Amino acid sequence: MKIRTLGLQLRQGFSGLWRNRVMTLVAIGSVTAVLLVLGLSLLTIININSLADYIESSVEIKAFLEEELDSSQVQTIGERIARVQGVKEIDFETKEMALRKYREQLGDDGSLLEGLEGENNPFPSSYIVKVEDPNTIGSIADEIAVFKGVEEVQYGKDVVEKLLASTNLIRVVGTVLICILAFISVFIISNTIKMTVVARRKEIRIMKYIGATDSFIRFPFIIEGLMMGIIGAAFASGMVAAIYNYFYKSMHSSFGGIFVMISGYLAPYSQSLYDTSLILLGVGMVIGVAGSGISLRRFLKV
Amino acid sequence: MIAMKDVSKVYPNGTAALEGIDIDIHKGEFVFFVGSSGAGKSTLVKLLLKEENPTSGAITIDGVTLNTLKRRQVPYLRRKLGVVFQDFRLLPDKTVAENVAFAMHIVGASKREIVRQVPRVLSIVGLGDKAEVFPSQLSGGEQQRVSMARAIVNNPTLLIADEPTGNLDPDTAWEIMKILKEINQRGTTVIMATHARDIVNYMRQRVITLDRGRIVRDQERGGYSFED
Repeated sequence: MKIRTLGLQLRQGFSGLWRNRVMTLVAIGSVTAVLLVLGLSLLTIININSLADYIESSVEIKAFLEEELDSSQVQTIGERIARVQGVKEIDFETKEMALRKYREQLGDDGSLLEGLEGENNPFPSSYIVKVEDPNTIGSIADEIAVFKGVEEVQYGKDVVEKLLASTNLIRVVGTVLICILAFISVFIISNTIKMTVVARRKEIRIMKYIGATDSFIRFPFIIEGLMMGIIGAAFASGMVAAIYNYFYKSMHSSFGGIFVMISGYLAPYSQSLYDTSLILLGVGMVIGVAGSGISLRRFLKV
Repeated sequence: MIAMKDVSKVYPNGTAALEGIDIDIHKGEFVFFVGSSGAGKSTLVKLLLKEENPTSGAITIDGVTLNTLKRRQVPYLRRKLGVVFQDFRLLPDKTVAENVAFAMHIVGASKREIVRQVPRVLSIVGLGDKAEVFPSQLSGGEQQRVSMARAIVNNPTLLIADEPTGNLDPDTAWEIMKILKEINQRGTTVIMATHARDIVNYMRQRVITLDRGRIVRDQERGGYSFED
């Protein structure tokens, strides 16, 4: 296409939007709705992912040692655990440290543990093992459990497995949901543009007879679809930002400090909004162009 | 200019529209395709515009073999051809001048060329004073003249007119024929499909008569005939 026909083409695209303004509004509305849902699911997934990443990275195995081990035996066990494939780092926790930790957890009721120091300390010493991939934690725990000198292994089996299953489920469901929504919106846009195309099919036929190329005929409609996608994405981004902002503030006022603590593990506020808006814009543009392209195909065969 | 060799067309529904068509048309000729409706005139026009492809046989226009022409090259073929239809096919929301200019926009003509060329062709068809009028304000004959102006504005080597006088009263039809003749005399090859007996008989041009998809007569300076 020559540059000097571009201006005329753009003007035709915009006048198409205006001429069919009711349908255009319907289409923009549907794109906005679809992208709004998409944006909210994206933000939810981004946050759950970031929370899940944190929790996954913090799961650990506790390997309790038998009583009556001397310090060289304890050290040998530590070296064996460190050599297991997939182990990221290990820490040794003495009986005294375990007692102190438990007392801190009890807080004001810590006095219940009076008299359990020294010889009477019932807590075993243990190795705390961090793994590289949380999915392998079960098999690593099983491996360590049979080491000589290891009394028992704990890793919050149920919690870890449930968490992994649910984060994976959320990721899969989210992806499927987004694909379905994108498909629906392509369908809605293509139907909207099809109406403008049907209204102009005589014109398209005439253009074909005069010798207009397909891309020349398609261009104004592509611009139309693109504009609908961009405008819809802009509305949706604004709404997503407002909703996210409201959610963030209300969480802050009702949960206060705890939320501040959790929010440290949520995805960064402005960054995730910015990313989401960019994705919405991109998806909106693709949906718009795909929608108009699909609706035109049939009418270009003259 | 145009060569059709043993061309046949069978539509997907089984209708045999054309059978064994051989036609040679030279540059500058004025040729009528005549025959009753269903004889194959419209199919012939559609084949020349590559709106349809022949089932068998070869078609060449101005050195371009239509059979092997790619879909994306079809627009460039059509730019060499001017087309006039029975139902005018003008854009109702554009003025006369805009309708004609539109054909030039499509081929990427500059504003200067458009401003120069549009009034020129409008005066050839006798509509110099109707440039800013909309098609709905024109008579049928005037609308057909606009469509002729549009057909010739890009200087095509071939003008194809499919029943151009079909919707017009006899007097108006004669005006259209005068303009077609003039366009032909300026060097453009003209093909006209019609069943207007008086016009064909009066014009004394080459006449190719079709009947049920076959050429039954091809006569220089011929007339319309039902003898066969």
